[in-house]
Amino acid sequence: MIKIEGLTIFLGSFRLKDFRIEIAEGEFHFLLGPTGSGKTLILESIIGLHKPKKGKIWIGEKEIQPLPPERREISYVPQDLALFPHLSVNENILYGIRTKNHSLKTYEEYVGSLIQVMKVGHLLKRYPANLSGGEKKRVALLRALAPKPKLLLLDEPLSGLDPSIKFEIQQLLKTLHTSFHPTVLCVSHDFEEAYLLGDKMTIFIDGNVEQVGKRDDVFLRPRTKNVAQFLGLKNLYRGKVLAKEDMDQRWILGINGLRISVPGSPCQGQMETGKEVDLFVRPEEVMILREGKPIKESLKENILQGKILDITDRGRHHIVFFQDNRDEVLFEISIPNYAYRNLDLSIGKNVKVALRDESFWVME
Amino acid sequence: MGFRLTMIGAAICIFIFYFALLASLLFSTTLKGFWESLVHPSTLFSIRLSLIAATIATLFAVVIGLPSAYALSRFQFRGKRIVDTFLEIPIIMSPIALGASFLVFFNTPMGDMIQRKGIFFVFEFPGIILAQFATIAGLATRLMKASLDEISPRYEAVARSLGSSSWQAFYRVTLPLSFRGLLAAVILSWAKAAGEFGATVTLAGAMPGKTETMPIAIFTALASANIEKAIVLILILVFLGLVALYAVRFTGKIYRYD
Repeated sequence: MIKIEGLTIFLGSFRLKDFRIEIAEGEFHFLLGPTGSGKTLILESIIGLHKPKKGKIWIGEKEIQPLPPERREISYVPQDLALFPHLSVNENILYGIRTKNHSLKTYEEYVGSLIQVMKVGHLLKRYPANLSGGEKKRVALLRALAPKPKLLLLDEPLSGLDPSIKFEIQQLLKTLHTSFHPTVLCVSHDFEEAYLLGDKMTIFIDGNVEQVGKRDDVFLRPRTKNVAQFLGLKNLYRGKVLAKEDMDQRWILGINGLRISVPGSPCQGQMETGKEVDLFVRPEEVMILREGKPIKESLKENILQGKILDITDRGRHHIVFFQDNRDEVLFEISIPNYAYRNLDLSIGKNVKVALRDESFWVME
Repeated sequence: MGFRLTMIGAAICIFIFYFALLASLLFSTTLKGFWESLVHPSTLFSIRLSLIAATIATLFAVVIGLPSAYALSRFQFRGKRIVDTFLEIPIIMSPIALGASFLVFFNTPMGDMIQRKGIFFVFEFPGIILAQFATIAGLATRLMKASLDEISPRYEAVARSLGSSSWQAFYRVTLPLSFRGLLAAVILSWAKAAGEFGATVTLAGAMPGKTETMPIAIFTALASANIEKAIVLILILVFLGLVALYAVRFTGKIYRYD
């Protein structure tokens, strides 16, 4: 278990107060946040390159904060990889084992299997300058893992790669993790990366930890508007709780004059009349109703009449921009292609839309 | 005239200017006279003295300059800007002013004590080294800092995370990576030391067979109208300088890693 507590960094205008994180052994943990949120500074503090104002770091029972970087047993793959250009691939890989005076013999089998999994066997005699982008990444990962670190830190491992290489490295990281179970803390600004690789994630925005959780928890149930915005979620509205419908355990929210009836289950925290909340309407759960068809009882709570302002083709699905007629609230609706073909939509057309109960998520 | 032609023309003019200057030296001497002046004991002495003094001065400049360059390149510390600015002192100060300052210093009680209890500098061989060191230490530091700046500190960061102490990370990673640049800095500093005149002549004097380095010998040869000797020494200095420059270029051309 890796534990960081009360990490406090003041550097220039950057302020980080009481940052904490816990990473279980063998976990692939993502530290996610927008670019420039100070994630790299946190990494550098963990490695020991930056001396934080305050804070404790434990690896298991051992407190490592007083130790210099070379005695922390934390490996680091920076964004630019920093493969040693004057050393061959093989020498790069063995660097950590050699400096720690470990006997090569005891590591032979382990490093051998790493080399096999990473498919770098044919590159060992080359120098970094003669490697492709993907090969460099693989060698850098291998170099970091070779001395069996207690924690592996990855700084934006997939950014700046061609899509095909990105996919390859992503698969590789997955394989690596399932075969060797290193404890990983990976810093990234890309939720998609984290979604494909991470067990758990910490969402870090403006110096604050906004949410910690399993990836689905975070994606489906963002705790704050900041998280929702960071995840790139559409249809976020600031509103007010207008009333409670006791009979059905529902709440009436007012969004720009539009009254929306929301069930109790997706509401987080204490709901009360007059409170300001953030409403998120999932674009893929909104239904465009077909003309002339009877409307199901369960959909009748929130039917809006409005106009299609625009339609964009996103390949696998279409995004329909819908505005309700009375209050001019804009919604993005995501429709799978087969449904889109059946609906016969066009820009300017008047349609009816149902906000299903499943589409709501209310944040404090 | 065309744009391109104007620009290239200017470049060629500069070349002709210097080339003609050097060529005139060759035309003002005979092979026999050249040889006689070259093998003359006083000439050989000057050459040897210059080579030895410049080498020792460069050695000192590296010993103190390399750690300073590293500190200026990698660390933030109080007074860093001032240190950085003071590296330019020998450049903005006329060499003769530098030499004169030393004379003044060795007249102070402290300077006097150093001379009486330690090493004699004024009008002595150590004075040559001191004057040359003073001229090149700032430059050497500046040049070495530039080549260290080119090496990303990330290499050391990774090396340390892989178990190297800061010393190990320096000599196993940063030093080999910046070696070419450092070597170029050393060569240029050495050439500058070998050609130093003003500070040396002021502090160490121009005593034949004792403190007469090549540039000083050129000056005294001219003063005594020994043109042949002056030309020989000038050509040797130019030759050494060109070899140094070529060596610098050459160090830049070794692509060991790719």
